[in-house]
Amino acid sequence: MPLVLPDIDWLTLAPLLVLLSTASLAALYALYNRSSKAVALLALLGLAVAAIFNLQLFVASRAGELRSSFGLRYLADQGALAFNFVILLGAALAILISYDYLKRAELEQPEYYPLMLLSASGAMVMAAAGDLIILLLGLEIMSLAVYVLSAWRQQARESAEAGMKYFLLGAFASAFLIYGIALIYGATGFFSYPQIVAGLLAEGFEQIFLATLGGIMILAGLGFKVALVPFHQWAPDVYTGAPTPVTAFMSVVVKTAAFAALLRIFAFIYPELGVLAVQSLVVLIALTLIVGNFTALVQRGIKRMLAYSAVAHAGYLALAVLAAGNLGMRAAIWYLTAYTLMNAGAFAVLTLLSDRNDHGDDLERFAGLARSRPYLAAAMTVFLLSLAGIPLLAGFVGKILVFSAAIEAGYVSLTVIAIITSVVAMVYYLRPVMYMYFREPEYEPLQTNSRSTHIAIGIAVFGTVLLGIFPGWWYSLLDLGQSLLAGL
Amino acid sequence: MLTLNHFLALGAILFAIGLYGLLSRRNLVAILMSVEILLNAILVNVVAIARFNDQAQGDVFALFIIAIAAAEVAVGLALFLNVFRLNGVATVDPLRRMKE
Repeated sequence: MPLVLPDIDWLTLAPLLVLLSTASLAALYALYNRSSKAVALLALLGLAVAAIFNLQLFVASRAGELRSSFGLRYLADQGALAFNFVILLGAALAILISYDYLKRAELEQPEYYPLMLLSASGAMVMAAAGDLIILLLGLEIMSLAVYVLSAWRQQARESAEAGMKYFLLGAFASAFLIYGIALIYGATGFFSYPQIVAGLLAEGFEQIFLATLGGIMILAGLGFKVALVPFHQWAPDVYTGAPTPVTAFMSVVVKTAAFAALLRIFAFIYPELGVLAVQSLVVLIALTLIVGNFTALVQRGIKRMLAYSAVAHAGYLALAVLAAGNLGMRAAIWYLTAYTLMNAGAFAVLTLLSDRNDHGDDLERFAGLARSRPYLAAAMTVFLLSLAGIPLLAGFVGKILVFSAAIEAGYVSLTVIAIITSVVAMVYYLRPVMYMYFREPEYEPLQTNSRSTHIAIGIAVFGTVLLGIFPGWWYSLLDLGQSLLAGL
Repeated sequence: MLTLNHFLALGAILFAIGLYGLLSRRNLVAILMSVEILLNAILVNVVAIARFNDQAQGDVFALFIIAIAAAEVAVGLALFLNVFRLNGVATVDPLRRMKE
């Protein structure tokens, strides 16, 4: 058999390669220079350069030049590139928050930053995947780094527990994902999306049961990563135990990547599978919306509350996945942009309130914050109101886009559930706001040197308000046109 | 005569054994071993499918799974050592601290 080399388009891979090489370089540099400031700056520089390459590809793709590498297995269509922006933004915010946090908690090993970059590069691979093997590789690159990061507070039992739990359940979930991939491969004989679809549509195809079972298993594996009920049990414990900046990273970057992958396979492969595969997502969404929002209501710890709120937001986002198609994809990317800004912002405020050992994320910490740290309180209010979906903030527009995409696709009753539960959600988002403005302070606010966290909060507030007041420009940029796979 | 279905059944049985181990074992090392069984069960499936379809793609996927399993164990053992150092036991029982 002759050896055929794959076609590699280096420009398509450029953002990814920049991240990977920065991560390797930073890890090597950390051997000689233990200054975490230099490594953090190098990591931010890497993210910026990757964003520039990504922008160049994005502009080219808007002009109609669609690129891919490895024969449609690594795609750089507008959807993937837009997701890359969201991933890079999330990673940059997480690194900015981490720098101060690690210094305060005396956890300043510089290896932290290369791990975060590696994880972000895995996320980009997932967003660009046009092949189930590539999808799996991206997922593992992303997850393995995050398992380690969530156990970063080596001396703290909660953190060790969070890492171990996330790892065990994550390994379990990826086993399901791999089994699902194997079943789809068994049914159709292929791994790349266009070939799978062609196989499913072929004359005399008999293995629909195997393929549908595989589709459901893949859904379970990815559902775990985005914390859809009933695959969400790890989320509250891991979110609480992990260092707060890692929680921020997990809740935005990991979620974005898993949704990017889910959106693509759901749009192309699932319509050809049995009806059971789509129906199971409907059930998952209904459960997620109800359980996520109502459990968040009864939480006392803010981190736990935000964990359940992240579960609930996974439900709203999954509505956009269900809507599939161009409209759903646009709505999902818009929502994830807003979600990255407001959620990372909320966790950033949290890092400033908790003490050295990461204790004290309970509601009482927020009491009287408006008097002691008025700007911080105002920023937190913006994030919480945006998460709740109050008009003129980004979260509101995101919800409108997702709900209208879902209604367009005919899922009216599910959308009604989503609207009702998001009204319920107002209660738990507004409770900390009440504490901040109408209670007497109970704790001395920590006076900490935290410039980079303030920069992150500033970016997040600016973005949340900007997208809330002027939602149109980003939405019109997301006019995705043709996906590379759509014409096949 | 062995058909593809025999291998798929073997894979499914192994997967079930791995699942049972994962859910019932209390020792962390035994749980890690169960994860390995899960991945090996899938490996049996993939290699058999590739053999019966006469395709190289499946074999490549099998190699990827082996690499992923190795990476997972490396990270898993490191996390496990960390838990062991802090708690002095190698079971899942101390991992319930946060379930109030």
